[in-house]
Amino acid sequence: MSIALRLAWRYLSGRKLRTALTTLAIVFGVMLIFGLNGVLPGMRDAMQRMMLAAIGEVDLTVTSASSAPFPAEVAQRVAEVRGVGAATPVARRTVAMPAKPDYKVTSLVVVGIDPATAYAVRPMPVADGRLLEERDDAPDAAPAAIASRATAEKMGVKVGDAIVLPSASGTTEVTLVGTIDSPAPPGSDELYVPLSLAQEMFALGDRITDVDAVFEATADRTAVERAVKDRLGDAYTIGGIATESTLAAGFDAAAAIFNVLGFFALAMGGFIILNTFRTVVAERRHDIGMLRATGASRRTILGLFLTESLLQGAIGTGLGLLAGWGFAVFVSGVLRGYIQGLMRMEDFGVVFEPQAWVLAVGLGMGVTVLAAVVPARAAARITPLDALRPQIGDVYEKAATRRAWAGLALIVVGAALLFVGSTGAMGLGCVLILVGMSLGAATAVKPITDATSRAIEAVYRSEGGVARANLQRNPGRAGATASAVMISIALVVMIFGMTSSVLGGYGEYAKRTTGTDFLLIPNNLIVSGGAVGAGPELAQRIRATDGIAAVATLRYAPAVVQGMTVQVIGIDPDEYGRIASFRWTEGSSDADLERLNRPGTVIANGNFRGQTGLGKGDTFTMMTPAGKRTFTIVGGGNDYINAKLPTVYVSQDALAELWGVTTDIMVLANAKEGADRAAVRAALEGIARDYPSFALYDSAEWQKVTDNLFAQLRATYTTLALMLAIPSLLALLNTLAIGVLARTREIGMLRAVGATRRQVKRMVVGESLLLASVGVAAGLVAGVPLSVFVVKAITMLGLEFPYVFPWSGMAAAVAIGLAFAGLAAWYPARQAAKLDVIRALRYE
Amino acid sequence: MAIVETKGLTKVYGSGETAVVALDHVDLTLDAGEFVAVMGPSGCGKSTLLNLIGGLDAPTSGTVVIDGREISTLSDDEMTRLRRERIGFVFQFFNLIPVLDASENAALPLVLNGTGAAEARRKAEEWLGRVGLGDRLRARPDQLSGGQQQRVAIARALVSEPALVLADEPTGNLDSKSSEEIASLLRQVSAEWGRAVLMVTHDPRIAAHADRIVFMRDGRVVDDTKIADAASARVAMERVGLL
Ligand SMILES: Nc1ncnc2c1ncn2[C@@H]1O[C@H](COP(=O)(O)OP(=O)(O)OP(=O)(O)O)[C@@H](O)[C@H]1O
Ligand SMILES: [Mg+2]
Repeated sequence: MSIALRLAWRYLSGRKLRTALTTLAIVFGVMLIFGLNGVLPGMRDAMQRMMLAAIGEVDLTVTSASSAPFPAEVAQRVAEVRGVGAATPVARRTVAMPAKPDYKVTSLVVVGIDPATAYAVRPMPVADGRLLEERDDAPDAAPAAIASRATAEKMGVKVGDAIVLPSASGTTEVTLVGTIDSPAPPGSDELYVPLSLAQEMFALGDRITDVDAVFEATADRTAVERAVKDRLGDAYTIGGIATESTLAAGFDAAAAIFNVLGFFALAMGGFIILNTFRTVVAERRHDIGMLRATGASRRTILGLFLTESLLQGAIGTGLGLLAGWGFAVFVSGVLRGYIQGLMRMEDFGVVFEPQAWVLAVGLGMGVTVLAAVVPARAAARITPLDALRPQIGDVYEKAATRRAWAGLALIVVGAALLFVGSTGAMGLGCVLILVGMSLGAATAVKPITDATSRAIEAVYRSEGGVARANLQRNPGRAGATASAVMISIALVVMIFGMTSSVLGGYGEYAKRTTGTDFLLIPNNLIVSGGAVGAGPELAQRIRATDGIAAVATLRYAPAVVQGMTVQVIGIDPDEYGRIASFRWTEGSSDADLERLNRPGTVIANGNFRGQTGLGKGDTFTMMTPAGKRTFTIVGGGNDYINAKLPTVYVSQDALAELWGVTTDIMVLANAKEGADRAAVRAALEGIARDYPSFALYDSAEWQKVTDNLFAQLRATYTTLALMLAIPSLLALLNTLAIGVLARTREIGMLRAVGATRRQVKRMVVGESLLLASVGVAAGLVAGVPLSVFVVKAITMLGLEFPYVFPWSGMAAAVAIGLAFAGLAAWYPARQAAKLDVIRALRYE
Repeated sequence: MAIVETKGLTKVYGSGETAVVALDHVDLTLDAGEFVAVMGPSGCGKSTLLNLIGGLDAPTSGTVVIDGREISTLSDDEMTRLRRERIGFVFQFFNLIPVLDASENAALPLVLNGTGAAEARRKAEEWLGRVGLGDRLRARPDQLSGGQQQRVAIARALVSEPALVLADEPTGNLDSKSSEEIASLLRQVSAEWGRAVLMVTHDPRIAAHADRIVFMRDGRVVDDTKIADAASARVAMERVGLL
């Protein structure tokens, strides 16, 4: 073992508490980054699998570029291309299975196949019963289905059993006539039904969702693919379904946010490591000088410290990876329950992609080494002579003033950037302010603690004074600790600011746009792409119900604008305004609803406008199953349910004409004035029972659902805020423990001249409170622009929220800061008070 | 042959009214294998002289020549290498790395010089044996007495076979018995193992082990006397008024 490694190991193991605390700081950040990156890909994959259904082992799949259904004759056109062996039309829908009867699967892909051509593309060896035959596809045939043996077993059904499936007319009962031996695509269960039945179940008319094809054995695959593409034009996509789904994009955004938070946690860890190493350098001054006198070069000394930081980083990162794995397993367990309750998604596992490793290991090691570089360089500058003299003050003090000026400059530039107007500049401004404050922290320690220690000295005069002196004598260390606390506090203020603004705003949206008496929505609303709509009968039956005054419905189709998938919501411009309302923007009003009756017009929500950069009056082209069409934005408006996704609203006539969609995915109804609500509700419940994929809510229930969701979100964010505050706790603990250790002899002396254990304890607690006060003060100041920035960044995505000043967040931040100060002081204070006087005086 | 030669060596700390002239034109020559003691009242510049000769500090004016090389012309790295290969240090305090054991401490200069671990260890243990610590090779500094710690430091100073050993009050915080042992050890270092030794001390009995005593006052060499035995040392000390 090299001398550097041996020394590093001996030093690290010689100061166990300090090494443990430093390690924890790294572990925490690495855990966050690694753990969250382990959960998200698995979730995203599950999501994608669910949405993409399964493309299977066919050579070629054709979908429409807008992912909307398209005419069945396209299959024929594909079959005619030279090199294509066989092509078959497919109508595929993911259905959320009702909880009752319980088929043990949360979702099922219903695949309508054409028995005449399907088996040529995808061979299906019979396991039991029979395959679907052409007679099953006849108009008056009994509804039949087949499934893979594995799926049938999982669902607990045998050949001859009936299966109830959600469909546009409520439910459809099919009989399982056979099972096949082909393995189900991973993660999704498929049920095959005759094409005509699928088209009827999902109100597709004579349209289909995919064409599957196989090539002739000798064909040049790329040439055939190109030929198919030429034949069909750019309204169709060859290969898979557009994978750039909004949800996947949302997941990537979430991953990015979590990485940023993880990085913040590591940055705080960095301050802790910085403190540890600067203490270590001060402590080992004599050792370093002696080594230099014996012939160690500056590079050797630098190397010693960098080796130690590498070792420390490796230990922390290794444990962090382990903790991250545990964290991922835990979080995915919690999330699984939460998400499956929300949208019946299939299981997902913990997956660590190579990027997760690279990111976690790179940042873990990187931050540690980076934080050690400055103290290590200072160590290398120590001359042999310095070491032989008693130490005077902080090695870093000289540079502190220079750094404070640089920090002040950064703060001024950052503050100026806040008012430039662009969100990007604002983000940069926030970061500059944080960095500037960290640089100036050491210099700010004295004035701030002079002020805050008055409160403590008012109660405990002498202990308070000693605490202040102890703290102020190492402003570098105090400054780094305060910086870590500051980042925590700023993040807490930011998160609380965001929740109060966003949840407040959402609540208002929710009231406005779903202020209807009754609401029927699919269980898996979030995945509207896979949701089974209801045919017009549902709305008609509700309209005909006694006591119902007005009904409005929403329909859904996907489309592509500027290469991005958007949702197209069909509303009836005349009836929608009677029941619900938009939260209008861009000077639009209810009067603009009527303009949707003109062809080629849309109302766009904020998210759409934000992502496309289009505004009222602009025209754009949208890919529809009927081809590229030009639309004009006649108004800007948001509704609560669709606010998260880029959405345009068109008339239901346009949706039927261009997308062929006539099914409702949401039905809103208002009761007549003076009607017997309970009776109306009972009648609606009777209707809803025939549509198991829909759930009925009255306005109070819906409000409760929303409130619950908000409460859950708030709890999640509060937990997140607390978690992000943990590194500040570690930083305080680390600094206090270091301080107590370094002052062992002094404490012994104080005890020898008559300080009581309680007084010694109070000195440590007082120091902790003072340290926290610096961090909290700076964090409150830095947190406000951060919270404004976050709300603004969300606004840029299209959700306009009024900014709510985070008073509650500030109060919470102060409370967290003080509580953590007390908590962090507990152990070091006890250690200090427990000191054996004789041994303390002999301590080296 | 001269190992060390200083010419007009001067060191001034600070400037203007607060300037302190710690060394004032000191000319001193040290031959191979010679054991020289430096004595003088506190603050007369003894440590400063040693530090300048060891290249730990730079003179204000004047030169130090070691092995024929003028050290002010050397870069930090070259000086470091010179120290590592040609000079051994023994200080009054803080001689040892607390987390390394006796043999690891003694092996340090060799390890820093890139000598293989086994070879470095073997040599370190050989020297520890010679200074009488063959039975405490694995002891950490906190498990050794002050005298034993100084002996480890002397073994370390000798392990790289230097031409010159600089010792600043090596017996400064030892009792008289341990001091005597260290002094005769240093005597052995020069007489038996042929190294030049320059040692600062306040203790006349320790200085009496040397071949020569250099007396200093206010930064200047006031007397430089070869001594034969304790009696002649005494005479010299009385002459400069130290006793
Ligand atoms: N870094 C320094 N800055 C200013 N003055 C210094 C410095 N180092 C030493 N001096 C002064 O230089 C003079 C010589 O100091 P030096 O340490 O060489 O004395 P010394 O002879 O070793 O004394 P002692 O026997 O007490 O160790 C003293 O007056 C001292 O105050
Ligand atoms: Mg001295």
